[in-house]
Amino acid sequence: MTETEELMRATAQRCHDPYLRCALYGAAQTALGVTGCCVLAHSPQGCYLLVDAAFGWQDADYTETLILSTKLCEDEIVHGGEELLARTILEAQELGVSILFVLTSCGPEIVGDDIVAVCEDMRPQVDFEIVPIECAGFRGDQNDGTDIALDAMLKKLTVRGRQKIPGSVCLIAPHANSNPTWMGDLAWVKEILRQMGAKVLATLTHDTRINEFEDVASAEGCIVLTHDAGQKAADYLAQEFGTEQLCKGMPLPVGFTNTRRWLMELGKGLGAQDVAERLAAEGGKMVVEQCRRKGLEQFFMHRAPAAIVADATVGIPLLRFITEDLEMIPHLLCLRSCQAESGEILKRELEELALSPKVIYDADVYQSKLALAEVKPEVVFGSNIERHAVEELDIPFVFRLVNPISRFRMVNREYFGYVGMLNLIEFIQNDWLDRYRSTQRRYKARW
Amino acid sequence: MRQIAIYGKGGIGKSTIAANLCMALRERGLGVMQVGCDPKRDSTRTLTGGRLIPTVLETYREHLKLGRDQYAISLEDIVFQGHRGVYCVESGGPEPGIGCAGRGVLTAMQILRDLKAFDIYGVDVVVYDVLGDVVCGGFAQPIREGYAREIYLLCSGAFMSIYAANNIAKAIRRLSRRGETGLAGVICNSSGDEQFEKVVLSQFAEAMGSKLVHLIPRSPVIQSCEVENKTVLEHSPQSQEAEAFRELARRVMDNDRPVIPRPIEELSDLEAMYREHLAK
Repeated sequence: MTETEELMRATAQRCHDPYLRCALYGAAQTALGVTGCCVLAHSPQGCYLLVDAAFGWQDADYTETLILSTKLCEDEIVHGGEELLARTILEAQELGVSILFVLTSCGPEIVGDDIVAVCEDMRPQVDFEIVPIECAGFRGDQNDGTDIALDAMLKKLTVRGRQKIPGSVCLIAPHANSNPTWMGDLAWVKEILRQMGAKVLATLTHDTRINEFEDVASAEGCIVLTHDAGQKAADYLAQEFGTEQLCKGMPLPVGFTNTRRWLMELGKGLGAQDVAERLAAEGGKMVVEQCRRKGLEQFFMHRAPAAIVADATVGIPLLRFITEDLEMIPHLLCLRSCQAESGEILKRELEELALSPKVIYDADVYQSKLALAEVKPEVVFGSNIERHAVEELDIPFVFRLVNPISRFRMVNREYFGYVGMLNLIEFIQNDWLDRYRSTQRRYKARW
Repeated sequence: MRQIAIYGKGGIGKSTIAANLCMALRERGLGVMQVGCDPKRDSTRTLTGGRLIPTVLETYREHLKLGRDQYAISLEDIVFQGHRGVYCVESGGPEPGIGCAGRGVLTAMQILRDLKAFDIYGVDVVVYDVLGDVVCGGFAQPIREGYAREIYLLCSGAFMSIYAANNIAKAIRRLSRRGETGLAGVICNSSGDEQFEKVVLSQFAEAMGSKLVHLIPRSPVIQSCEVENKTVLEHSPQSQEAEAFRELARRVMDNDRPVIPRPIEELSDLEAMYREHLAK
């Protein structure tokens, strides 16, 4: 059997059970981060539900944000839906829309609807901006959708020729991950930037005002707040406006070392090393004191074989956190996604930590389950999916840290920074104590 | 009810053969319907004296605009009697460059089925005239959904027409797993060199496990009938060409055992087969 045939056979035998949703979902998440926008899904009604789900992810406000659908039926698939799209855009005029994002699903793109042309044609007839985003599900996963949407938005809405504002930054893709605490993390980053004297000109996207896009070109620097998407947007800003990417190529600030390194790098980029030093020193002291006072030691997990099943945003920084701070030994790392840049970060981390766990990039649920069965860790950091996937495996603990997560409702907590570290320790501690509620898990826990 | 589909390379003469076949079948006293499965809607033109009849899809669209479904469509709006009572239907489809014609064809067929058109008109044989090659899954719908049970591949002596027929045979092989659909045979619409065409198409058909059903000669009579918007059987019923279509109809009716084809896998093998006869 040739190599190609073997590859084809392996691919054919693979069961695809994806963690991630499609590009339409990622694009909708990104568009719905713009305050007061209207998102029009040029799609059948099923795909529209993805937009509805994205609405929840951004905590959008029904009184400010509108979501519409052209609700395509068979007639639009046979004859094309351009006419219906044009009519719907005209109807949006009556809703007092300030900006309209038109998103496509698979059907209209397959039958050749040219939404860019329709939007161009309709623009003179309405008094709001229209941004077409070609994000059919088959174009990729939700992270690809985020990149597609950011690309469309930046190219359409950014105003060129603006003067740079010293000490200003824009934040990229804070929402593009499976981190249930992403809004808390974003708030933490903004507070850190404030303390370092930096001004956040634009957040792409969460609670983003339309004029923030106009200011993007003025930003001196940008920070990508995820390891799963957004790098293309940062590269675009660097190329078009000379925007420097801060904290590039390093893990996000989860855990002692990662937070300290991230703060120091940010301080260096913003000329605020003294503030960074102070924040790191104060934060580290606070965590040690809290752990001492509250008895938050994780002694029961010392040298426990562990697995991480998460997206790159949480998974990569968590690797150092559980190795250095919790003193576990990672045996498996399944990343739901992985951009090339994230792969490089992970490679460096593994080298620095002298670890050689089994690593699976772009893992789906089936692959994760197989790998967990093979590696048999004692602890899994994952989601509700892994909680169920390990039912028949002899794995006593699954700490649910990433979405989908049914145990906790995150309102404004964070994983980033020193308080974030305490939050993580708290989850782990509580779940560990929880074992006494289950006879099975109590006896399986061997430490 | 016999359900026949004619596939073949674009411009090979599918509509001409289909219309004349329908006329010949009608002469045998059968209830016949020709369904044009092409957005160009010109399949039944020679049966209707040059009139482009309203299509199923455009009629359906008009009803949709009024908030009605397909059951509001009257069969009289979409089924038209052509010469000698051959029923004519055109599926219609989207404008060029947009929409999905394949899905349109299927929608039109579903409407015909939902309205029980074949039962109501007492149709014994339906002939589907399907456009061009099976370029995407949509155009394979007549086969996939079991509307067409007997597939005829129309070829000439030109190599590319055989190449296209071989590709269509691959689609038939794939789709015949779902039901009773199969390849009923190859029909030659001669481009002139009948001797060569008979030999090469017979071998091609046999290689696929099928047979060359009949050869329609190249003739100016057929071409002039086209221009006059008439079938040969209407325009020149006593001609040799009309007899050829009658013979085709006889053979089609006698041929009721479609097979799962074995298309030639490699282009080089197909070329070698063709080259072998070309040299002679």
